[in-house]
Amino acid sequence: MWMTQRLANRLIIGAVIAGFLSLMLIGLIGVNLLRRNLEFTALVSHTYQVQDAISEFRILNERMETARRGYLLSPDKRYLEVYEQTRAALPPVMDRIEKLTRDNTVQQQRLRTARAIMARQVAAAEASVRDRIAAAAAFDTDPAVLATRELRTVALQMTKEEQRKLVLRDAARLGAVEKLVALIVCAGALTVAIGVGSLWVIFRSFRDLTASRARVEALNEGLEEEVKTQTAELRRANEEIQRFAYIVSHDLRSPLVNIMGFTSELEAAAKPLGDLLEQAEAAAPGAVSVEARLAVTSDLPESIRFIRSSTEKMDRLINAILRLSREGRRVLTPEPIDLGALFAALTGGLKHRADELGVTLEAASHGPALVSDRLALEQILSNLLENALKYLAPGRAGHIRISAAQRGDRVIIEVADNGRGIDRKDHERIFDLFRRAGVQDQPGEGIGLAHVRALGYRLGGVVSVESALDRGATFRVSLPRVLSLEGEAA
Amino acid sequence: MNDSRHVTIVMIEDDEGHARLIERNIRRAGIMNDIRHFSDGGTALAYLHGDGLVQEGPALVLLDLNLPDMNGVDILAEIKSSETLRRTPVVVLTTTDDRSEIQRCYDLGANVYITKPVNYDSFADAIRQLGLFLSVIQVPRADPP
Repeated sequence: MWMTQRLANRLIIGAVIAGFLSLMLIGLIGVNLLRRNLEFTALVSHTYQVQDAISEFRILNERMETARRGYLLSPDKRYLEVYEQTRAALPPVMDRIEKLTRDNTVQQQRLRTARAIMARQVAAAEASVRDRIAAAAAFDTDPAVLATRELRTVALQMTKEEQRKLVLRDAARLGAVEKLVALIVCAGALTVAIGVGSLWVIFRSFRDLTASRARVEALNEGLEEEVKTQTAELRRANEEIQRFAYIVSHDLRSPLVNIMGFTSELEAAAKPLGDLLEQAEAAAPGAVSVEARLAVTSDLPESIRFIRSSTEKMDRLINAILRLSREGRRVLTPEPIDLGALFAALTGGLKHRADELGVTLEAASHGPALVSDRLALEQILSNLLENALKYLAPGRAGHIRISAAQRGDRVIIEVADNGRGIDRKDHERIFDLFRRAGVQDQPGEGIGLAHVRALGYRLGGVVSVESALDRGATFRVSLPRVLSLEGEAA
Repeated sequence: MNDSRHVTIVMIEDDEGHARLIERNIRRAGIMNDIRHFSDGGTALAYLHGDGLVQEGPALVLLDLNLPDMNGVDILAEIKSSETLRRTPVVVLTTTDDRSEIQRCYDLGANVYITKPVNYDSFADAIRQLGLFLSVIQVPRADPP
């Protein structure tokens, strides 16, 4: 579907481009035709000029002949003047015709003939003017008259030739004009076609664009909905686990009450039993077997001690789970937190112990603006600070520093120490419930960091560690700048 | 004052061990009142609503919240909303130490709330406190019909 759509778009765009290219070609052809048309027009006007010149020649020739005849008939000076004038005017006209018809050999040929005839005519005419009376008598055989007739014929031929050419050239010119008109009509049609095509393409892509934008919006909404659903499901699952932990720890407590209670009862019962044994021993020495005495005085109390210490430990663990579950269910209240003041308060509370251990506590006086749950954050940081105080490197003066920085829309709080550090392989383990790492020389149940991480998650954050054995440890708490409770169960 | 001698202690507790430990410690505290033990809520409510109570005089209820057949909080609510039973003192004695749960019990009219400590000495202590409590409270007689 998508590919064919793409192909169709390409075809359409190709067609539009081809249309524009042919329009350009038509333009070029049109310019060419117009130029040719101009050429033809120039040729036609040239022909007119030639015709004009030939006509002038003919008129002058006739006029010269008329003037000569007039003079021969009546010797008026004015006829002679006209004759002289026209005779002088003829050669330049001939020259002009020669110049104009240089491209036409036929006309040149005729012109040469005309020149020859005219030479004879002029010679005869000159002679007749000199001998006026004889010339008038022999009018019919006058060579000038004959020459004039011949010239008349040649000039007519030349005019006809030009006329023929005129017709041809005019036809060619008209043909070019017609072609041009046809071309313009074609161009017009093509322009309309291209315009319609372009409009169609634009309309189509606009419609596609609108459709795809609507689709993207719908998808986006779907995605948001999906994320919301997923988040809600995650929270539900989390609540389920919290509830589960709560119920399980409660139900585990019940039998534990019995175990401890009856163990105490047993212990209480062991006392009169011991007294009885002593009395029996006093009354009849040797009546009490060594085994019986050992059982009452040593085995029984030892067993009870183990039962008790185990149940006490179990009680602590159950209480830890309960506390975690309760923390997980506590309603968070985001509020602006002054990190500088919080750091000061936390380190202030630990100062006495730090002094005793010879540890310097350094707290940044300022921090970026943060909106989060104060109690949860306090618990996270005091846990981390207490851990730092607990796990010092032997033979090295402790130094603990707490600071915060903003990175994008998150606030990173760091608790860095120079203590004994944590082996890389234990970096995940230390965050697990009831798990600890390193030398077990400090009291603890392995709950603190599990608690820290769980609290961090609830605040929309992540707690991580960077450390190596004997290189100190840096715990980082990355929190959103503003805690959002959207989707949080009420 | 000696009215409390005639008071029957109605213990609603599903765990036999707990019941036994409670009874032992009550006795050790020197309280000799009758103790009627019910291991489920339904039977206990039937007894409280029934004629038995009227014949045997006023009662004090020791209530565990985690019961197999019903929630202890519902039993508390029923006792405290009943015309004949609402003056009966109810001592909630349970493992639940959830603050909101405790709050709810008091809101419903529980007279005392005791968390069963796992530590037995504290447990015995709590029961002894209960004995003390028993000796000072005035348990009303059920009104004769």
